[in-house]
Amino acid sequence: MSDATHAIEARRAASAAAPSSLRHELVMKRVLQWSVLGVALVIVVFPLYWMLLTAFDPPSLSYSSTISLLPRRLTFAAFSQLLREYDFLLWMWNSAAVAGITTLLAVVVGTMAAYSIARLRYPGRGVLAGIFFLAYIFPATLLVVPVFVILSVLGLTDDYVGLVMSYLIFTVPFCTWMLRAYLTSIPRELEEAALVDGANRIQAMIRIILPLAAPGVAAATIFAFTLSWNEYLYAFILMTDSTKMTLSPGMTKLVFGDIFLWGMIMSGATLMSLPVVLLYFVAQRFVVSGLTAGSVKG
Amino acid sequence: MALRTASVPIPRTRRFRLPRDAALGYLLLAPAGLLLILLVGYPFLTAVVMSLQKKLIGQAVAPFIGLGNYTALLTDLTFWIVVRNVLIFAGASVALKLVIGTSVALALNESMPARGIIRSIMILPWALPTLVSVLIWMWMYSDVGGVFNSVLMGTGIVERPVLFLGTPVLAMVSVIVVNVWRGFPFFVVTLLAGLQTVASDQYDAAKVDGAGLWARFRHVTLPGLAPVMAVVTLLSTIFTLNDFAIVWLLTKGGPGNATDVLSTLTYKVAIRGLELGKGVAVSVLMLPLLIVLIVLLTRFINRREEAG
Repeated sequence: MSDATHAIEARRAASAAAPSSLRHELVMKRVLQWSVLGVALVIVVFPLYWMLLTAFDPPSLSYSSTISLLPRRLTFAAFSQLLREYDFLLWMWNSAAVAGITTLLAVVVGTMAAYSIARLRYPGRGVLAGIFFLAYIFPATLLVVPVFVILSVLGLTDDYVGLVMSYLIFTVPFCTWMLRAYLTSIPRELEEAALVDGANRIQAMIRIILPLAAPGVAAATIFAFTLSWNEYLYAFILMTDSTKMTLSPGMTKLVFGDIFLWGMIMSGATLMSLPVVLLYFVAQRFVVSGLTAGSVKG
Repeated sequence: MALRTASVPIPRTRRFRLPRDAALGYLLLAPAGLLLILLVGYPFLTAVVMSLQKKLIGQAVAPFIGLGNYTALLTDLTFWIVVRNVLIFAGASVALKLVIGTSVALALNESMPARGIIRSIMILPWALPTLVSVLIWMWMYSDVGGVFNSVLMGTGIVERPVLFLGTPVLAMVSVIVVNVWRGFPFFVVTLLAGLQTVASDQYDAAKVDGAGLWARFRHVTLPGLAPVMAVVTLLSTIFTLNDFAIVWLLTKGGPGNATDVLSTLTYKVAIRGLELGKGVAVSVLMLPLLIVLIVLLTRFINRREEAG
């Protein structure tokens, strides 16, 4: 439909509205806007509040029938119980190591590939870009069983190498696809100028393009780390040895016991959320611009 | 599947021609390409081969049985229940995410106090690990001390705890709610970005013409936002169809098969049931639907990149 049609339609629809109703409309708009935001905020915030409340004011084991929507006390009992009874800090360290190594590899390899696809011209690069996108949205459900079988044969289950490999499955195409969008948006003329001035391709890439793409690289780094830290399926299927577990399978162990110690589970959930939430708030500028590149898992 | 790049059209006559750097191009691409072949291509082929075998965990020999796994699945009522479930789960989740995401994005697109803070808070559920969101909701749904049941019983609305995860329809509703809670911020951020591209002069024109709120939304915002909506909806559909963690942790596909989706069935058959070949066949059967979605998605992305 053309813009003209819309303008005419809008005009026709509006012909009944008199100018005097403008103030009324503004009030209505504000009311609508704040009720949508109010409801959405409550829905978003309440579960998070409930997590923190349970972690810092754990319910007693006997589950008293009265609950309080406000904290009655502030205690670290649930946290200390968690750290005492489980290898939680070890799981956290394992998660950080696996996510960190995955991120480093994925960002380096992904930046190289993205630069190649976005800025160099050679036959087949359009198809290659498509393949990376396809790999990015390829369902883990379909890959997890064969990956499990292959890693079992190689003796790499319950092994960080195997877990990092399985995380590269989604982080490499993700970083490539996202950085491709970033790199494509940098004007070609900048690079051409450097080449005219006698720089070679690699110098132009390192000195001119990469510094300009720094926000994109930062966003890719944050997303790759968050995706790896948050990953559940591969970790759950590949890591069964509790001394080698990462947070995802480790936390699952807390849940499938006989009794649900919700105070302890929620304190674990709080600790697991902390790094990604902090990262996200600190680097929000990059996160939003990264999402705008239209390439993030939802 | 060719995705064209969004580069500026190259003028015919250039003062300086870029060298065709095929060698460097392939060299830089090689590590990622190799990883893709080893970690995606090879497992995918393995999956297809496995789905044609009677491959069991712990047995070295896997006899070739042709389409045996597929015919077994397609004639099994459970499989079709699971297909229905996954369509309900993904359809309802994505529809709700789109509606809520669009409403919140529109509300956030207006100037207002504390806009930045509100936007940051809105995105939080998406930044959290899925496992954490699921655990929080599991605790809220709980029939022993869970907040929903405490409030419902405290106010006298129900006498006995509601089994949110224990009755077929409620369990499906419950997993959808968690998926929507976790997934709608993705729509908010993407649609907010999309709203920036809806030309503001069109709003002004419509305003001058006296178009009301609804008319402006219907005739200016919606047509401008539609392409972004299509892309984000298709992406979210693909990811929702493959969701494992939410369903598995909350209900394990139960009660019965009431909330089983293709991913949980794959896991149950392949890993728990030890029938690797048949389990993989379950997820291979998702491919036709996935291919349709991917083809649509590619079209929309190409169109967007050409336009922008």
